[in-house]
Amino acid sequence: MDLLSFVNFYLVPGIVLGSIYALGAIGITLVFGVLRFAHLAHGDFATLGAFLALALVAGLGLNPWLALPFAMAATAGTAIAIHWLFYEHLRGRGAILTVIASLGIALMLRAIVQVIWGVDSQSYATGIVRPDSYFGIRVKDREIWTLVATALLVVGLQLFLGYTRWGKAMRAMSDNPDLARLSGIDTRLTTALTWILVGLLCAAAGFFLGINTELKSLMGWYMLLPMFAAAILGGVGRVEGAVLGGMIIGIAEECSVLILPSEYKSALAFAVLLLMLALWPTGLLRGKVL
Amino acid sequence: MTAAALHDAPPLDAPLLDVRGIVGGYGAADILHGIDLRVGAREIVGIVGPNGAGKSTALKAIFGLLNLRGGSITFAEREITAWAPNRIVRCGIGYVPQVDNVFREMTVEENLEMGAFLRRSGIQEARDRVYGLFPDLVDKRRVTAGSLSGGQRQMVAFGRALMLDPQLLLLDEPTAGLSPKYCEQIFQIVRDVRDAGVAVLLVEQHAKQALALCDRAYVLASGRNRAEGTGAGLLADREIAQMFLGG
Repeated sequence: MDLLSFVNFYLVPGIVLGSIYALGAIGITLVFGVLRFAHLAHGDFATLGAFLALALVAGLGLNPWLALPFAMAATAGTAIAIHWLFYEHLRGRGAILTVIASLGIALMLRAIVQVIWGVDSQSYATGIVRPDSYFGIRVKDREIWTLVATALLVVGLQLFLGYTRWGKAMRAMSDNPDLARLSGIDTRLTTALTWILVGLLCAAAGFFLGINTELKSLMGWYMLLPMFAAAILGGVGRVEGAVLGGMIIGIAEECSVLILPSEYKSALAFAVLLLMLALWPTGLLRGKVL
Repeated sequence: MTAAALHDAPPLDAPLLDVRGIVGGYGAADILHGIDLRVGAREIVGIVGPNGAGKSTALKAIFGLLNLRGGSITFAEREITAWAPNRIVRCGIGYVPQVDNVFREMTVEENLEMGAFLRRSGIQEARDRVYGLFPDLVDKRRVTAGSLSGGQRQMVAFGRALMLDPQLLLLDEPTAGLSPKYCEQIFQIVRDVRDAGVAVLLVEQHAKQALALCDRAYVLASGRNRAEGTGAGLLADREIAQMFLGG
């Protein structure tokens, strides 16, 4: 196999998958960093976002990319609502209760998606998209847009966290919640803000997975493991680590079919996760809070 | 409260902070059994006493971190009993916890900004004042607080609490865990803070050094006032030294 076919058949799909995992892993890192629990409904937030976009595409005939911002906003709203309806009541009662509750939310969201949209595979647009060739590298338009949109979201998030008053407040709450409270930072607003960001990122991840493959009610659930693996690989609490981890897991999954039967593709994330936890639990970029 | 009368400090007509008979604790059992404390403007007041005396608890009670069952707290002629900490911080009291008192992963500058989170204007001026007080921090403004030395980290902690221009700073064992070299540095900082016009109420383990620093001090034991007086007066009292200050 020459280099070009490696790039075309493994690297490009790997990077696309990696950016989807990266967006999910950032959300996991945000929840863990600010709210200190592992959010198991993360994948199903992504599923919900993907199907909300589908509703706009199928119902209003919107272009999928135009539907994306609305789906992101709606998922953000759902995330806040779920926080206020469920997680908020478990605050101060041990993180494990919230973790288990989030598993319940995951099942609930999946069931809602299945009731409304069914269990069959769906897609935003029918027909075959032919990739364009750039110096022999064959990339589809939607793949380029996925990468561009991911880059914009990541840069936007980093600017928000690094340079705005509320972004810094989120980092402060992640760093030292007691001191943040003593400094007069409103932790309820900071929490709500975290859920908004998580909802936006999840919907984007789900949408990108849906537009590059297809929509299934279990699509997000199957992403959960690689997203967690990516977050831990990069060092929990680090946005740039989540991006790096996502890319590594995505590319590794696509490349794994070179040496492993393709049924084992999704086991790779599990293997990476186990290996990292055993050997290097703080992750590649030393894990921290945000 | 017999010892209290022995070391009468100059009378405080209208103290900045007036704590009267506060009773309370963290859970069902009370830790404070009626504590009285007064701090005048531009005064350094110490709280000393044996372990478990309720020194830090008294400080937390003033800052609204405790549920009080009795007593009253007045600050600048306003009753602030049972106020929430974020309301108390707005009215001019800064609090520096004993541990975890900086945002470790954030830069010195960002730590100060978080201290100023509640203010919309004059942030630059407040920051310049803090850097004026702690010139060592100027070169470190882009460095994360967690990577600083113990003494400099304490400066960041003080600086964060000073960003809202408080009239009173509450310091919970600012020298805990620091080497003697840093302790002296911290005490000098406390003097500098006072000279900048801020009253200081501090809890200290190093009782003798603290008494040398303070204008006045309270000796607490078992959640009650045991003595009060000028720092020098309490230091000179052999009975108090033997009973409460470790000889």
